[in-house]
Amino acid sequence: MIITIDSLNRHKFGSVLDDMYRLRARVFQGRLGWDVNVQDGMERDEFDDLDPTHVVSLDDDGNVVGCMRLLQTTGPHMLADVFYSILDGEPPLRSSRLWEATRFCVDTARLSGGKSRNSISYVTSEVMIGAFEYAQKAGVLDAVAVIDPVMNRVLKRSGNAPYDYVGSAKPMGKVTAMAALMDCSDERIASIREFSDIRGNVFSSEEEVIALIAEKSRPKSDNCIPFRPAKGSSGELQDYFVQQLRDANSPEEIVAVRQLIEAVSGTLSDKSRQALRRFN
Amino acid sequence: MKLIDLSSVQNVHQHAGSYLDELCQLLEFDYASYATINPVSGDVQGYANYPDAWKLHYAKQSYHNLDPTLTQSAKSIAPVDWGCFEQNTKFTKVFKDAHDFGISDRGLTVPVRGPYGDCGLLSVTRDCSPVEWEKLKKSVIGDLQASAVHMHDNVTKTGVLARAISMPALSSREVEILQWVAAGKSQQDIGDILSISHRTVEVHLRSGREKLGALSTPQAVGRAIGLNLIMPG
Repeated sequence: MIITIDSLNRHKFGSVLDDMYRLRARVFQGRLGWDVNVQDGMERDEFDDLDPTHVVSLDDDGNVVGCMRLLQTTGPHMLADVFYSILDGEPPLRSSRLWEATRFCVDTARLSGGKSRNSISYVTSEVMIGAFEYAQKAGVLDAVAVIDPVMNRVLKRSGNAPYDYVGSAKPMGKVTAMAALMDCSDERIASIREFSDIRGNVFSSEEEVIALIAEKSRPKSDNCIPFRPAKGSSGELQDYFVQQLRDANSPEEIVAVRQLIEAVSGTLSDKSRQALRRFN
Repeated sequence: MKLIDLSSVQNVHQHAGSYLDELCQLLEFDYASYATINPVSGDVQGYANYPDAWKLHYAKQSYHNLDPTLTQSAKSIAPVDWGCFEQNTKFTKVFKDAHDFGISDRGLTVPVRGPYGDCGLLSVTRDCSPVEWEKLKKSVIGDLQASAVHMHDNVTKTGVLARAISMPALSSREVEILQWVAAGKSQQDIGDILSISHRTVEVHLRSGREKLGALSTPQAVGRAIGLNLIMPG
């Protein structure tokens, strides 16, 4: 699912943005070896302070698995101010109908191959559909995207080949960077949807994402029934521990349950405590 | 779209009001306004074709410090529909008053970012049904983007000296394509001649046109010839 985060709604999605900056650090510093600034495991630069829009893809567990950053080309942007070497000394394109896409990446460690819901190809397509539909709605006709050759190949193979390039590819860290032109047209969006089999609306509402993030941050423990200790619930607690002891599959698990019983024994009645100690 | 060309008039400030009037007439809006915030001083400079009584009231109440269509829209890269401010108490306060002056709270603001951290905001409003509004938005959003950048570039580039020394930075591809346009070639022809897609031709042409501050391609050609960037066809 896609959420667009800009400076109008970012106060609601602080943890999503932090996750996104961490993903960018892993990709651009780690995998691609670009000379980027990473602090506390997060990659941020001055363009993040210029109120860009981030197109962010989340998986069903609320993890950031893909992202892209959009800026107007009429104002400061990376091709004009940082990646100008790609342009071979030429001035950059500047138009209200053209946006720049940078820091486009997906989480190759978390995602798989193939075309399933959690694949690199799916998330790449989802981010592109989200970005193009968002741009289209803003009256924007084309995008110039700074990408690496791997991403370029992925785009070509997923019904989303750039129609041209500006300047020429230049070495950047372990790989090269290039500026690709893509139209934000109905035809292109349809072609990506066809390839990736993404039919429905890719955007999630802010409320949905907020709920998902709240669910994600709630502590989870595997293999056990959640309980809320309350006054006079000693009987329920006893039943719970009996169930846990019965379900235990190894001596280690039994030890773990016994330790838990001792840890909360203060909340148990004497009768329950004794009953549980006798339980084998 | 035919509008007053603000880059060809002597005094932008005198014509800004008529530009907004024409914009409203062409794109079917009730009112339009343009504001730019000085990145250094924070001063707001603006034009609007709202009724004078509302402009006066707005200024008296210092609503420009409160109005989220001004204070918030600059944070977006995309046009901001005022619908997103529905829950905003500052918005409600300003537009409750606006209503008394016959001005609708249905509107949108197009933010334009300039190269020096400057920002311009073109706002339009129209009293109509939600369905009509969505339809209108979809059909004019591109023209609004182009008008917003035209107005912003010309307002911020005022002063005879600033204009005399400003030389648009066109790339050789943009110049090359304008030269072929001057020679009477179509976009398709130019794509074939240069072995590039017609979409590439278009994207460079649009960029060159906006850099020259021109509203149409023939005008861009004329201006490029005037600046000795290309030869007459």
